Amino acid sequence: MDDITPTPRRRPYDLPLPPPPDALRRGPLREGTFSSALHDPRTAVVLGRWLGAALLTCFLTGLFSHLVQESPAWLPSRPVNGYRVTQGLHVISGIAAVPLLVAKLWTVYPKLFEWPPVRSVLHALERLGIAVLVAAMLLELLTGLFNTLQWYPWPFPFRQTHFWLGWLATGGLLLHVAAKLPQIRTHWRRARRAARNTGTTGTTGTGPVEPQRRAFLTAVAASVGLVTLTTAGQSVPWLRSLDLFAPRRPDLGPQGLPVNRTAAQAGTTTLPADWRLEVGGPHPVRLSLDELARLPQYEAELPIACVEGWSASARWGGVRIRDLLALAGVPAGTALRITSLELDGPYRVTELPAEHARDPLTLLALRVNGEVLAPDHGYPARIIAPNRPGVLQTKWVTRIEVG
Amino acid sequence: MRTLRALLLLGGLALTGWGLTGLLTDHYIEHPLDIAEWAVGALVLHDALWLPVVCALGATLARRTAVRTALILTAAVTAVALPAVLRAGTDTTNPTVLPLPYLRNWLLVLAAIAVLAGALVLRRRRPGGRSKAEDPTEEEH
Repeated sequence: MDDITPTPRRRPYDLPLPPPPDALRRGPLREGTFSSALHDPRTAVVLGRWLGAALLTCFLTGLFSHLVQESPAWLPSRPVNGYRVTQGLHVISGIAAVPLLVAKLWTVYPKLFEWPPVRSVLHALERLGIAVLVAAMLLELLTGLFNTLQWYPWPFPFRQTHFWLGWLATGGLLLHVAAKLPQIRTHWRRARRAARNTGTTGTTGTGPVEPQRRAFLTAVAASVGLVTLTTAGQSVPWLRSLDLFAPRRPDLGPQGLPVNRTAAQAGTTTLPADWRLEVGGPHPVRLSLDELARLPQYEAELPIACVEGWSASARWGGVRIRDLLALAGVPAGTALRITSLELDGPYRVTELPAEHARDPLTLLALRVNGEVLAPDHGYPARIIAPNRPGVLQTKWVTRIEVG
Repeated sequence: MRTLRALLLLGGLALTGWGLTGLLTDHYIEHPLDIAEWAVGALVLHDALWLPVVCALGATLARRTAVRTALILTAAVTAVALPAVLRAGTDTTNPTVLPLPYLRNWLLVLAAIAVLAGALVLRRRRPGGRSKAEDPTEEEH
């Protein structure tokens, strides 16, 4: 498989290491253990391109989501479905990367047993880097997939670990591409150039490679298609009927909507008898549910777009946030702090940026799809605003004040 | 190409260093070694258990393209669906998480893959169909 042995160049910065005795070359370390012709650089380059595209999409959309959650003011309130698309893409590309990573690692598996195991200090470092890259990638995809199921069997916190591992894995990927750049260039195209350059004829002793490769790549592409089609329905409306394995179905839940955190989980199943919405400002107001219902009511079709990838559109009804601010004498274009009734949780208090607060689509919703909000959807009142992560669409709102 | 390579190298080192620093210094991550354990565990399971099984299957049972394709599809679907199959019904605090019959769906998709692969194999065996010897994608090893 190692048909690219570049002419040894003098590398003044590298330190060659002596080869270990041949007696140690046993088991899979022997030559010819792996006979498939598809453990070759061309297959690795084709799979690497697909995998690289998926991972880069996944990393960038994930980074975007992280920034938006850390500092919400960073995100404009348009397009309405912006975060829905980027976060849907994050989970779709992550799931697509699973079969691609497995196929890529199978293709390069014989490299694990190359002989001699280390030729030089630089070679040893490169191999160590690949170990870190593969371990980080495997754990990154595993934690991401399990997070969509809200399943956390590990002892470390998900969000921070997934975030930092993403940097580590992407850094490892860039280093890997840097190390392999000459091979990638040689095998970028199927053209005969590759064969001429490396002395191979494009065939092995057992038959032509190209049809085998086509069959393998077709199978991998079909796998990507299959896992994508059977899970993407949690974020892509027209794929909903094919949703077989996604942890969510956007139409299943109270009032036809999934829930990320239930009222029981948040400790908000019963509303305190003296509940009033407090709006802080120069003329603070306290409004009962009846008083809120007597204010001008508006409707908006807006998505809940969860960080775990699922999203669902719904028709929300309620009071415009900017109307509430006017009541309290708060000037339009003020960033707000929203407090929930929930007892704990990292999103009990959230920030509503000025642009979202001013937006006519941003509501303090009292109804969804024509019904009074169910407790799981934030009864008596929740924030719903365009283009933001679902965790920031605070439920069970009790206080709105200048942030 | 030299410039591109240098940029990739520098960028890669920067991102790796940033990620490692974060893993080691983030206040929420109390025991970074836990993460290392899981990462090494994933690597060992993948390289020392999963891949040898795949290679053994590929060299013995799965010599036909149709069978190989079916197994690749099966592995991909299982990797994505099995966590849902195992997890469904175990945590009932939020019924909108994992609301589907995942076990049934998984078995149905596996059955569909098997039927398709079987049909393909049979069609090639029938007179008039392409025989195994003519199939250029068969591998011998």
